[in-house]
Amino acid sequence: MASPQRRPDSSSLAEVLDRVLDKGIVIDIWARISVVGIELLTIEARVVVASVDTFLHYAEEIAKLEKATADGDLEDLEELEVEQRPESSPQSASQ
Amino acid sequence: MTNRYVYGIVESGADLEFETDAVGGANEVYTVSHRRYQAVVSDIDTTDPEETDEDAKRHDEVLREIMERTNGHSIIPMQFGMAFESNRALKNVIRGARPAFRRAIRDIEGRIELGLKLVTEEDADVDREAIEETVADALESLAAQSVENDHFSDRLVLNRSYLVEEDERETFDDAVAELEDHPDLEDVMVQYTGPFAPYSFVDVKIGAQR
Repeated sequence: MASPQRRPDSSSLAEVLDRVLDKGIVIDIWARISVVGIELLTIEARVVVASVDTFLHYAEEIAKLEKATADGDLEDLEELEVEQRPESSPQSASQ
Repeated sequence: MTNRYVYGIVESGADLEFETDAVGGANEVYTVSHRRYQAVVSDIDTTDPEETDEDAKRHDEVLREIMERTNGHSIIPMQFGMAFESNRALKNVIRGARPAFRRAIRDIEGRIELGLKLVTEEDADVDREAIEETVADALESLAAQSVENDHFSDRLVLNRSYLVEEDERETFDDAVAELEDHPDLEDVMVQYTGPFAPYSFVDVKIGAQR
């Protein structure tokens, strides 16, 4: 018994608006118009971690970042929440 | 039209120059690069574009077109309205936010977003917990990640976004089809939407310190 194929609907305006107006990367107007001497502040509210390997890699990157920040480099990292999701698969996808 | 309206960020190398109906009446989409990242942009004459349904739809449609053209390679989607004063301001942000872009791309590479809403009739008496469990059993293992969205109405039993490997799309479609026939879901309406750029799975905000 073949069930009819189910395709997601891509035409719903409400679904598009929910995402386009509310999700995605947001860049403050001052970062969009300023050039000279501005310091950027990057906030990542959620980092998805797929495996312990990736987690260790993140930890390393974050350590580097924090050092860069302490040294007065551009990036600043205000808030970082690492979520471990062991159920995620396949793990290799994030390498 | 000296300002740049940005749709998203991709890793350099994709050929993304094409004609289309772009936001704000432009008809050409192209890229502005800084080292390993490219912003996909069109020209606009403001840094504060008005939120119209039409332009919101165009923003999404351009992102879909980019997804097709990059053939599964991911674009980190911007929220509507991210217009820059100049290429210089844009490149400055790409440079400053490199680590965040790198992590975002790693999370979403080769993956798309699909949406699922379950809606009941008014005053219908349904076992919400049983439904949630049935849906989780059917779909969670097929998604790399998922997130619950706002329940803006009591009639919404579930409002979830799933981050799914592009290659797993059909498996996911089939699982949703099976779910619709599940006895637990007899009294709910199933709205299955997408594929979208992974809007719900990038959560990056970039500001300027003054």
